[in-house]
Amino acid sequence: MAQAAAAPHPRATPGQPCVFKLVLLGSSSVGKSSLALRYVKNDFKSTLPTVGCAFFTKVVEFGAASLKFEIWDTAGQEKYHSVCHLYFRGANAALLVYDITSKDSFCMAQQWLKDLEKEFQPGEVVVMLVGNKTDLGEEREVMFEEGKEFAESKGLLFMETSARLNHQVTEVFSAVARELLQREERKKDQTQQRDARLALNERPAGQAKCCAH
Amino acid sequence: MLGTVNKMKHQMMLFFFQRGNLPSLLLASRKKMSLKSERRGIHVDQSELLCKKGCGYYGNPAWQGFCSKCWREEYHKARQKQIQEDWELAERLQREEEEAFASSQSSQGAQSLTFSKFEEKKTNEKTRKVTTVKKFFTASSRVGSKKAEIQEAKAPSPSINRQTSIETDRVSKEFIEFLKTFHKTGQEIYKQTKLFLEAMHYKRDLSIEEQSECTQDFYQNVAEKMQTRGKVPPERVEKIMDQIEKYIMTRLYKYVFCPETTDDEKKDLAIQKRIRALHWVTPQMLCVPVNEEIPEVSDMVVKAITDIIEMDSKRVPRDKLACITKCSKHIFNAIKITKNEPASADDFLPTLIYIVLKGNPPRLQSNIQYITRFCNPSRLMTGEDGYYFTNLCCAVAFIEKLDAQSLNLSQEDFDRYMSGQTSPRKQESENWSPDACLGVKQMYKNLDLLSQLNERQERIMNEAKKLEKDLIDWTDGIAKEVQDIVEKYPLEIKPPNQSLAAIDSENVENDKLPPPLQPQVYAG
Repeated sequence: MAQAAAAPHPRATPGQPCVFKLVLLGSSSVGKSSLALRYVKNDFKSTLPTVGCAFFTKVVEFGAASLKFEIWDTAGQEKYHSVCHLYFRGANAALLVYDITSKDSFCMAQQWLKDLEKEFQPGEVVVMLVGNKTDLGEEREVMFEEGKEFAESKGLLFMETSARLNHQVTEVFSAVARELLQREERKKDQTQQRDARLALNERPAGQAKCCAH
Repeated sequence: MLGTVNKMKHQMMLFFFQRGNLPSLLLASRKKMSLKSERRGIHVDQSELLCKKGCGYYGNPAWQGFCSKCWREEYHKARQKQIQEDWELAERLQREEEEAFASSQSSQGAQSLTFSKFEEKKTNEKTRKVTTVKKFFTASSRVGSKKAEIQEAKAPSPSINRQTSIETDRVSKEFIEFLKTFHKTGQEIYKQTKLFLEAMHYKRDLSIEEQSECTQDFYQNVAEKMQTRGKVPPERVEKIMDQIEKYIMTRLYKYVFCPETTDDEKKDLAIQKRIRALHWVTPQMLCVPVNEEIPEVSDMVVKAITDIIEMDSKRVPRDKLACITKCSKHIFNAIKITKNEPASADDFLPTLIYIVLKGNPPRLQSNIQYITRFCNPSRLMTGEDGYYFTNLCCAVAFIEKLDAQSLNLSQEDFDRYMSGQTSPRKQESENWSPDACLGVKQMYKNLDLLSQLNERQERIMNEAKKLEKDLIDWTDGIAKEVQDIVEKYPLEIKPPNQSLAAIDSENVENDKLPPPLQPQVYAG
């Protein structure tokens, strides 16, 4: 299994957008699926999956660059927690979703983060904390500041959304996309610098050319 | 009774015969004997009960009328003969192949086929290594042990080898046909693939992980070469990669699927046993959002189970993945019909677990390991197929870890169900469990209906009989009454009256009548 858990690198094929794998994590009924459904559905009605909404793809145009999101929904029930690390394999980004009206779901999100940290090196994946269901503001149990503080302490991106009202949904994914592209850019620079320094003729596969166009 | 026992014995013997490949001569005599044993039901001759060899012991029809000792001797002889024949056939085939090989290449006439091939490959390796091999394969191809090679060549199962070679030949032909459309690039790819397969031939002694790594390296190298050197557009690269995977994995399958060097088989048996032990798990315990009472849904469930079982029959990792994806689509359909809304991952995973528990797919762990090791890696970590495959891995991992808590049961209940002391089904108040398969339920319903019909039928019959009796009684009654009346008022026919002229002759009252009116004449 060692080779399967190798460091993730987006498939870089010139002329085609890089593929980034994004995992949706969080307790059940916090709105993971709704979030993804809202994001994919709103702009591309035609690509709406007909039967299941657990796996989505979406191409994002981002200025000159474009990338393709592969969104993997995961089962949120606590009993499946122990096996869900399998979903992380090869992920580039993760959304930690919690329900702002449920303190428990916020604690669970922190648990998910611990699992992620076990599997990945810091900085290897883009992680974003998302507080969903802002439309239920009067039942709020987790304050905006609480989420923000936690996210900042762990170096995560943070946003509050409402999948029902379509509030800030696209922004969440755009922020992740931007971060992913920036990191890719940085990685590319580093590789180039290293290449120049070491005067290597052969560049490592799969990294250097990604998202250059 | 005797007949059925004999029949069973014959079946058993047939089994042995099939395994031992006894010559047709013996089969014919067996037929004769079976006729004899059928006749025996009518007439039993003492001499027929004794061993045919005349050793004095009783014979047995299952042993062709020999006693156990004589039979063993006879059987052993026949078996030896068969083995001898098999050997001769294998050797002849080997010679033929050798000759064919020698005619195409000026071979040095080695003793066995694989050994000569082996030598040939080695020289090939030596000459080509400098030019191309080194470029494609960084790992040095270690030389496999000669002993293993020769042993394998002598394994007396030519029929099996031939059967698989038919399929491999077909795939090879398809592969070559496919590559022809790419002209020069195709040639190059074919050469690389051939070299890779040869290299893999010598790596059979390495651990499966190392073999897997070589394969993955090969995938990556070929794809890169095609893009950079061959300038093949990415969509076509994917297509070619699929074909390459199909070609090489069809050839490597029998060496790298569930290899003896790993404990894959042990794991297969373990998970199979585990799933069997969990046979009592109901959809309710797993919170599966699927209602199997809807015929369409149970249809989908059956299809999903068929797909996941079918996975084992495929050779190419990609085909195996396609089975998982097909299964998943059926699951999504089942959930969608039940819930009337698209399913999310929260619904999907439990249902997949339920399907795996219900289907108990053969060699589950081997298949998962094989796919993980030899599938094109880009397909496993990303893409829809990869997603469903990951879900299957999760389902299997969950089944392995499954405990009372994850089914919302108390530890005692869980233990009791696991040990088979009780079943949750028995505790149901109804006389059949609600999750019994639809056919059984339908059968129960039909039985109910039948008994009701029976009752009504009986009632109708009773009433009909009563009606018949009533009718008979009524006719009898009427007849009796009529008879009574007839008796009471006997019919008497009087003689006919006299002529009409004398109608008043006896009428006495006529005398009292006034005289008839006389006509009066008036002048006028």
